[in-house]
Amino acid sequence: METAISNSTYITFELAEETFSVNVSKVLEIVEVPRITKVPQSPDYLCGVINLRGTVLPVVDTKIKFGMGTTKRTIDTNIVVLEVLMDDGEKIHVGALVDKVMDVIDIDVNEIKESPTLGGKYNPDFLLGMGKVGEDFAMILNIDRVFSVEEMTLLKDSSD
Amino acid sequence: MDQFQASFINEANELLVDLEEALLILEEQPDDLAQVGSVFRVMHTLKGSASMFGFDKIGEFTHDLETIYDQIRAGQKKLTKDIFSLTLHSVDHIKALLEDPSLSEAGGLQRHQDLLEKINHIIGGEGGGLDTAEVGDFGTGKVETFLVHLVPNKDILGSGSNPIFLLEDLAALGEIKTFARANNVPSIADFKVDECFTSWDIVMSTAEGEQEIEDVFIFVEDDCDIQIDKVSDTDLFKSEGFVSDLETLSDTIDRLSVAELQVLSQKYEATEVVTQASASIEKAKSSIRVSSEKLDDLLNLVSQLVTTQARLALFAEEHPDGDLEEIAENVEKISRQLRENAFDLSLVPLENTLIRFRRLVRDISMDLGKEVDFRITGSETEMDKTIVERLIDPLMHILRNSLDHGIEKPAEREKKGKDPTGVLQLNAFYSGAYVHIQIKDDGGGIDPEKLRSIAEEKGIISKDVELTKKETLELIFAPGFSTASEVTDVSGRGVGMDVVRRNIESLRGEIELDSEIGKGTEIIIKLPLTLSIIDGLLVILDEVNYVIPLTVIKKCFEIDHDQLENNFNKLLVLEGEQVPYFYMREEFELEKSGLEREQLIVVVNSEKEVGLIVDEIVGEHQAVVKPLGRYYKDQEVFSGSTILGDGTVALVLDTNRIISKFSNVHSV
Repeated sequence: METAISNSTYITFELAEETFSVNVSKVLEIVEVPRITKVPQSPDYLCGVINLRGTVLPVVDTKIKFGMGTTKRTIDTNIVVLEVLMDDGEKIHVGALVDKVMDVIDIDVNEIKESPTLGGKYNPDFLLGMGKVGEDFAMILNIDRVFSVEEMTLLKDSSD
Repeated sequence: MDQFQASFINEANELLVDLEEALLILEEQPDDLAQVGSVFRVMHTLKGSASMFGFDKIGEFTHDLETIYDQIRAGQKKLTKDIFSLTLHSVDHIKALLEDPSLSEAGGLQRHQDLLEKINHIIGGEGGGLDTAEVGDFGTGKVETFLVHLVPNKDILGSGSNPIFLLEDLAALGEIKTFARANNVPSIADFKVDECFTSWDIVMSTAEGEQEIEDVFIFVEDDCDIQIDKVSDTDLFKSEGFVSDLETLSDTIDRLSVAELQVLSQKYEATEVVTQASASIEKAKSSIRVSSEKLDDLLNLVSQLVTTQARLALFAEEHPDGDLEEIAENVEKISRQLRENAFDLSLVPLENTLIRFRRLVRDISMDLGKEVDFRITGSETEMDKTIVERLIDPLMHILRNSLDHGIEKPAEREKKGKDPTGVLQLNAFYSGAYVHIQIKDDGGGIDPEKLRSIAEEKGIISKDVELTKKETLELIFAPGFSTASEVTDVSGRGVGMDVVRRNIESLRGEIELDSEIGKGTEIIIKLPLTLSIIDGLLVILDEVNYVIPLTVIKKCFEIDHDQLENNFNKLLVLEGEQVPYFYMREEFELEKSGLEREQLIVVVNSEKEVGLIVDEIVGEHQAVVKPLGRYYKDQEVFSGSTILGDGTVALVLDTNRIISKFSNVHSV
């Protein structure tokens, strides 16, 4: 089935059995996990760097960044290469480790609900909204916030 | 903004650099005609290109400035201090215009008018014995081209004047081309013999000036409609093809207009300037402009070539074959040379940047009322363009400090028995794998006591901590420091030296300071020559590859692991010398290796020798260093990463940083 690429096209992936999605315009490519060179004395959520066709790409363990435990490497583990817009306007590329890449889907902009501020499990700063996909909801990630350089967790603080 | 405008702005900026250089030389030697010619040419080029690309204000501005310098060139004016200052102000204004062509910023338009007025005043007023006539009216001795439109009244013939005589008079002034316009001549039936129905378009060039042309018509002013317009400052008749172009133009329209002629003149003026320029003695710089993107692409390709060549070398080693070996060696030799040449392309001489400092020092020292002799050596030293650009701010700050706080006013200097003119030196030179930039002044020096007390006041350091003189001077780099008792406009806001240090360090460089009260201050900045490709030693630690630059390695030893156990003071005796060491596994918080023998590599920085212990040494490797990126911007021990022949990523160690970082931890 052909899905026309547009602003409403998203790639979904799985992290700790939850479904997240990211707008296709932010995704550069998806690669299998090669040998990762760990950089000593760097934060836990940075797995290290890989060689992507001659460029050195940093790889983030998305689950650690989200406070969801560490990613165990399986045959389905992949790296989603994303283009992130920094606060000062600089665009950088980063690879995000995910448990499994799922589908490319269309989410109509009318089907996007705002993420709940109270009682939700996840920090609303990180989410652009919740997209209705059939019966389920896929959380749409705000990539620029998630991968900004500071340490932040997706899960809400219990003190919130 | 479209690409043509962008390229004009680039060119204009370069021209302005040349202009400032010429002006600064002129300040010392106002009679240097070659420089005057330089200034004139820049103005002329700017004027032409500016109008072509729609920067009208710059065009009109430089037009007038050009006139002044033309007069100076022709010996009609002398370059006075006033003209000089006005020119410098104008250069600043042009820079402002480049950024903001419509002068939307407040005060911009006012400044524009003020400057124009002053310029016109000078053009009309001062100088060797000229009357206050307007520009181009008097005989400058230079040939200019004019369009004269002559429409005699019908009954001019009745008053005894014959327009033909007027034409002959005009012809006597120079070169001329006339076009008679017979549109108004009626049919034979209505034609009156004693009435004039013809008008003329006359294009002429003369050195006598507009006034002379006007004078030709003195007696017939009331009998004719006369319009005289200057079309060009040059003799268009000199250019081949001009006359035939004129004829073609005239055939197509009823009446020649100034605008059309000016378009035509642009075409010919450009060529004339070129011949002028090449005839004079100029800097023989044969160069072409290359976009940075193209350069980056080239460097990327070279880097990939180097990486692939490493694979080839590996392959040749593993598959011994005489021919293959020879080919691999040749490829290595050539790629090495290619790499050196390619990276050399991105090196620019410091000179271009240093010129602007001359101007800065001059302006600031004048503002502060100080006499300064600014000496620069080593401006031909080359550095990577991006590094040079990031050096500008720190260097400006340091120079400002020397001028503001260092060098004293002439009176004070005399009291101290010094020459009233202070000396500010900027020296650039290579030393090993580094470029050194040294800034020295013979001013008042820095008082460590004063520094100390201010640091204590600001809570940067407590009273009872003992510091050596060097450490006290280092306080100046602490954040929030400022010794100026008032914040002057020039420096002293307390955000200075710590930012400077951070900027230098982000370039993987170092900055040091030394000073003696009464004698002066010296600041040295050391920067790595190229960040990009280094010759390194490939080592392994915990299955991760690291590269150590060969330039810092002194020697390698193999040691027994037992020697490291229970070694309290982290010293080993090697070849009779005591060598402090870092057990990298420990430093990186990795587990023990379980190896019996490990490798110790003695590396040096400017002061110490330290041994780094790793698992294994692999061999030499030419590393194309790539930055680790923003996610790793806080880490300190790696200068970057590189891709090995087998496709994995190795980390490049910055041994200077490692040494200083771990020294602080262990107080070696």
